[in-house]
Amino acid sequence: MSRAAVPTEHGARRALRIMVASKWPLLAVAFLFFASVAAAFGPVLSPFDPNRQNLVLRLADPMAVGPDGSLFWLGSDALGRDVLSRLLYGARVSLLVGFAAIAVGGGIGIVAGLLSGYFGGWVDDLIMRVGDIQLAFPFILLAILFLVVLGSGVGNLILVLGVGQWVTYARIVRADTLSLREKEFVEAARALGDSTVSIIFRTILPNILAPLTVIASFNVASVILSEAALSFLGLGVPPSVPTWGSMLAESRDTLVANKWWLAVFPGVAIMLTVLSFNILGDWLRDFLDPRLRERT
Amino acid sequence: MRRRTHGGGLTAAWLLGMVLALTGCSQQSEDTIVVGLSADITTFEPGMISSRDNDNIAQHIFSSLFSLSPDGDHLPDLAHTMEISDDGTAYVYTLREGLTCHDGEALTAEDAAYTFNRIGDPENRFTGNIPGFVYTSIGFQGAVALDDLRVQVNLARKNPIAFGLLTEVHIHCKDSYEEMTLDEAASNPIGSGPYRLASWTRGSEVVLEKVRDPGSFQRIVWRIIPEASTRTAELIAGNVDIITNVVPEQMDAINASGRAEVQVVSGTRRMYLGFNLSDASRQMPGGDAIQDPRVRRALQYAVDVPTICRQLLSTECDRATGLVNPPNDHPGLTPYPYDPPTAERLLDEAGWPRGEDGTRFAIRFQAGRGRYVNDVNVVLAITQYLEDVGLDVELDLLEWASVYTPLLRERSMGPLFFLGTGGGLWSPIYDMTDLADVDSGTNYTHWDDERWFSRWADLAEAGTPEETRAIVDEMLQVFYDDGPWLHMYFQPDFYGVSNRIEWTARRDERVHLFEARLR
Repeated sequence: MSRAAVPTEHGARRALRIMVASKWPLLAVAFLFFASVAAAFGPVLSPFDPNRQNLVLRLADPMAVGPDGSLFWLGSDALGRDVLSRLLYGARVSLLVGFAAIAVGGGIGIVAGLLSGYFGGWVDDLIMRVGDIQLAFPFILLAILFLVVLGSGVGNLILVLGVGQWVTYARIVRADTLSLREKEFVEAARALGDSTVSIIFRTILPNILAPLTVIASFNVASVILSEAALSFLGLGVPPSVPTWGSMLAESRDTLVANKWWLAVFPGVAIMLTVLSFNILGDWLRDFLDPRLRERT
Repeated sequence: MRRRTHGGGLTAAWLLGMVLALTGCSQQSEDTIVVGLSADITTFEPGMISSRDNDNIAQHIFSSLFSLSPDGDHLPDLAHTMEISDDGTAYVYTLREGLTCHDGEALTAEDAAYTFNRIGDPENRFTGNIPGFVYTSIGFQGAVALDDLRVQVNLARKNPIAFGLLTEVHIHCKDSYEEMTLDEAASNPIGSGPYRLASWTRGSEVVLEKVRDPGSFQRIVWRIIPEASTRTAELIAGNVDIITNVVPEQMDAINASGRAEVQVVSGTRRMYLGFNLSDASRQMPGGDAIQDPRVRRALQYAVDVPTICRQLLSTECDRATGLVNPPNDHPGLTPYPYDPPTAERLLDEAGWPRGEDGTRFAIRFQAGRGRYVNDVNVVLAITQYLEDVGLDVELDLLEWASVYTPLLRERSMGPLFFLGTGGGLWSPIYDMTDLADVDSGTNYTHWDDERWFSRWADLAEAGTPEETRAIVDEMLQVFYDDGPWLHMYFQPDFYGVSNRIEWTARRDERVHLFEARLR
């Protein structure tokens, strides 16, 4: 028997139709699709090796042409590296970190929330108090602390940013689980002899995925911003890995010298990505809310 | 290549000036001078000071017995005469009469002796420039007061530059320091210099007030502004009078502002890539390979230093041939040229051919960020050059004050590391003194070549300048051939100076404000 409450085939078609009719969600999805393609095919699309330096061609303006006829579409940076190529490679890190951190944080948070809400008692107390303690620390401070101890790198960055998000998911899942565990269909599953694991993950979990999808879409945006902030502080990934945040950091010294392209292009990329996820999250929230369905 | 040309620097400076004029610009008081420093300071304990920025402030609070002029002249300060014993191991200074410390206590020979001995006291465990560099180099044995005005400093052995090294010892009084704990002394200096500490907000600013001449300003404010762009913006806005470590890319914006200009001086700081040859380093990636002098020599050919100077430091420079500043360097040595094929051939011959993946060996390369002019970009460029000849470089860019500096104290960075060490123009031996002993705190490489270290005794016994020069050149030849440094450049220094004041930058990185005046 199917217990999932995610949109049905009919619902998915309806979502597509409404999105096409709306302007901003469609633009957001289009941009995210474009960014994902850029990230996936960065090595193919990049005109240059993003780390290849050419000191003689440093700080070339956008559309500058090198002595060999090569075109720097978005200019070059302080070490003569092609900004467009670094932007394309940077998309990989930003999106990878964004999605992977949500997977880590969401995974931990969902399991913790399900256990907390379903079993209650000391399990609930323990998990929620651990979450409270974590929330008592400013997240960026916690992230800096962990990265100083663990060292920088994509893996550690994903881990730190993911762990930083789990409490949000755990609280939402716990609240929904507390409500759902008393519902008739859960009672029915118990009466039919389903195991506890099956009830939690096959009966309850599918019914709380909709709000989690909305939260995740907002969260991706905040994680990408956190990644940019940590890379800006030099705690993100190694210097050889281009990221949008580290590109922004590198632009600081040249901004006063009017080398605007070093800050504007990665800055706009971050802004559009975050904006797109926020618009998408907004729309998803409205779309999945039964009270607002009529309006969407 | 084609580039669009426009008045970028002028536009940026104008915009920046306008924004700051509307938001935060303020006119400085005429009796106050404000200096923007790039690196934070950590202590006012004379025995613990180790950075130039820290020492620049301390030199206004503490005077020394004698001092050195920018040209290397030995000038009287708290003392007016100095006598050296025949065997060169006793230095007797005669103090001026009527000296006092900031708390009013009379400064006598007993205080001067106490200062020397306190800094050298092993129980205090000081690790700053004076105990770690000066005392190690001269073999400091102790100091005694001969009478109220005469103090004698005893050395273990004759040293031809001890008189200059002793100018770096900051003098203070006995009674006040005996009453303080080490922690209290580190944050409440009671000095002997023309200025006293009025306030210190860690990480933000240090304010000094004038107590005696020399000095044109009643107050000196040292502001810690780590961000280069912020320092530049503050200078253009008129909130700061002097800034250090101007990023070369910002020179045009400052000069076009009409409010300040950049002074570029050929500095004496020796910038180099160090090879850490310690046993601990040998266990790390690349630590084994660099033990071989042939590998170290090969890598000298791999880095294009003149291009780094021209492009990243906005200046032409001759590559260094050793650790001695021109014109005191070895006249017969020519800088290693940029010649990647030779580097590759020598690495092949040293037994490190390229593997199937194109690399010869991996090496960890550590550097601090934000301490030297354009250091991050310089380090990234060096990394590229080394990778071009087949090294797999694991670059580790570290925060300067809290991460890299502790590694420096332990001499445990590397196996490859980027560093600059302050130098001088008054003696080649001063520059060589970084490596006065295998265990010197400034021998960050743990280099122990007998052909270098055994010659220090010969230097001490040299009877004439010609003999000294010959030994110096022989030592520098060893350093050039098989030394522990990949030679880079003598760092040019960039100071932004407000049009409001008259001040000339020195080559030795000392920011002395005694001579600074309002225009």
